[in-house]
Amino acid sequence: MAAGAADAVEFQPGIRRRRIRWRRYIGLSVPALIALVVIVAGVFAELLQTHDPEFIDLAARLAPPVFDGGTWAHPLGTDELGRDIYSRLLHGARVSLIVVGIVVPGAALFGTLIGLVSGWVGGMTGQILMRVVDLQLALPAILFAVLMASLVGPSLTNVIVILLFWTWPSYSRLVRADVLSLRERDFVTASRSVGAAPWWIMRKHLLPNVLNTIVIVMTLEVALVVLAEAALSFLSVGVPPGTSSWGRMITEGRDTMNVAWWPIWLPGLTLLIISLTGNLMGDWLRDALDPRLRNLR
Amino acid sequence: MQFWNYLIIRLIQAIFVTLLVVTIVFFVSRLVGNPEETMLPPLVTSTEDKERFRELLGLNDPLHIQYGNFLIDLGQGDFGTSWRGGGTSTLDAIGDRALNTVKLGVAGVVFALALAVPLGIIAALRRGTTVDWLARFVAVIGQATPSFWLGLMMIFFFSVQLGWFPTGGAEDGFRSLILPAIALGLFELVAIMRLTRSGMIEVMDTDFVRTARAKGLSERTVIWRHGVRHALLPVVTMLGLSLGRLIGGTVIIEMVFAWPGVGRLIIDSILKNDFPMVQAAIIVLAASIALVNLFVDVSYRFIDPRIRAGEA
Repeated sequence: MAAGAADAVEFQPGIRRRRIRWRRYIGLSVPALIALVVIVAGVFAELLQTHDPEFIDLAARLAPPVFDGGTWAHPLGTDELGRDIYSRLLHGARVSLIVVGIVVPGAALFGTLIGLVSGWVGGMTGQILMRVVDLQLALPAILFAVLMASLVGPSLTNVIVILLFWTWPSYSRLVRADVLSLRERDFVTASRSVGAAPWWIMRKHLLPNVLNTIVIVMTLEVALVVLAEAALSFLSVGVPPGTSSWGRMITEGRDTMNVAWWPIWLPGLTLLIISLTGNLMGDWLRDALDPRLRNLR
Repeated sequence: MQFWNYLIIRLIQAIFVTLLVVTIVFFVSRLVGNPEETMLPPLVTSTEDKERFRELLGLNDPLHIQYGNFLIDLGQGDFGTSWRGGGTSTLDAIGDRALNTVKLGVAGVVFALALAVPLGIIAALRRGTTVDWLARFVAVIGQATPSFWLGLMMIFFFSVQLGWFPTGGAEDGFRSLILPAIALGLFELVAIMRLTRSGMIEVMDTDFVRTARAKGLSERTVIWRHGVRHALLPVVTMLGLSLGRLIGGTVIIEMVFAWPGVGRLIIDSILKNDFPMVQAAIIVLAASIALVNLFVDVSYRFIDPRIRAGEA
């Protein structure tokens, strides 16, 4: 009797579900908060900055951050040219936001489309599309970036174009795999047998079923894209000189690494935290939406 | 017979991919770039010299003829002449550096495998323990760390502060290889460890492992013969597929550690405006990736008996 009463309480849907839901979202709250901070920093960089990010002040070069004996004039110190690191970090966030904001949705859109078509049409067309997709594995993005930089010089547009080219195949590969199994399912064959148009089936049956996969991959790609942009800028084939990017800041901080820790540590830690945030959000989404994608990366 | 058919098809695919890369490099460079501006010194070149240069390189020919000539040259092993360094063949310059890049890549993979496989196995067998927790922590941090920043930090701590390793270059043999290999291998380490762990967890749950235990095999035999062998199959596949990423990684790491490999040659050539060198190095790297992928695919058929059985 006593046990039965306990079970009855346990299974009262309202109480139990609310508690679990609340706990599930704890894991998401910290990364979401960090993401929000980065977005605000990037969007309102001009309002939040204390100095012009590219303003060179040789008198104030290598001023330490305020928590390491510096003054509030430069809260996070200055680099070897006296540029304010706090303001540069804000503008670096903007560069990352622009790159992520264009590359991730763009690649997802295009990659999904190619994946849907090659999975649905199959045959020769599908095979050819998949060979193009495989090209991503044979031509590292960095080589492509290097080629473009050597031809037209480094630019933000280059970075975006290269990362778009480099990231869309990930979506195609996963979407195609999903579509190949979905197309044999009853609800799809039923639609086909009553004469539904391919585009209608793709929109109404296939797309909703692959949406989870796409959202998860998009979240996981954020960190990858941010790190890739930083790496390209670090190699000086990414964002051109005179633009504040976290990758460039690390390159520039390298020369004074032995005398001042902050010009290289602060952008490095920022990058680490951002990509950690992206990965944690992606992992959380994957566990919540689709645990079978655990081996994605 | 089946095997030879497969090999020929895979070979054709590899050639196709390489050809596609060559084609992309050719058309992107001819359409986006202006060879007379990238290859000739700016300002000092007169208009007649520019015209002579165009004629000399066949730039006045229609694009498809240029493309044909480009392919014929490549086929004859003529990858162009470096614009710097007194007209050395680009292929020779790449050949001089290639061994260093291979060394770095192999060292990175060996480092990753040597740590990731044991850690992944232990984490899977002792799920929920400190080791498992530690492995997951390493995975989360390792995947988020920018390799170039990690490299710089290691130089600062281990080379500058502690003086254990040289700060760069390849003069000190094995000692100078350690830090670059760690920086390059960390990302692969995480990927391999995750794959090993989940593969191991999966396989230890299967019927044939239960059977092996039931017939009284020692736990060691069960783990190594039945578990690990099975769990490592996807690792081999992933290693093959990650080669492109690895080569991209060596470009970055070579710049961080002043490692005299092909990647650094490429970046140095860009800074010196040496376009033929950049072009040749990209083609060589892409072709070697295609070749190694082919090798991995073929060797996979020897490792996994099911694939061989499938074709019989």
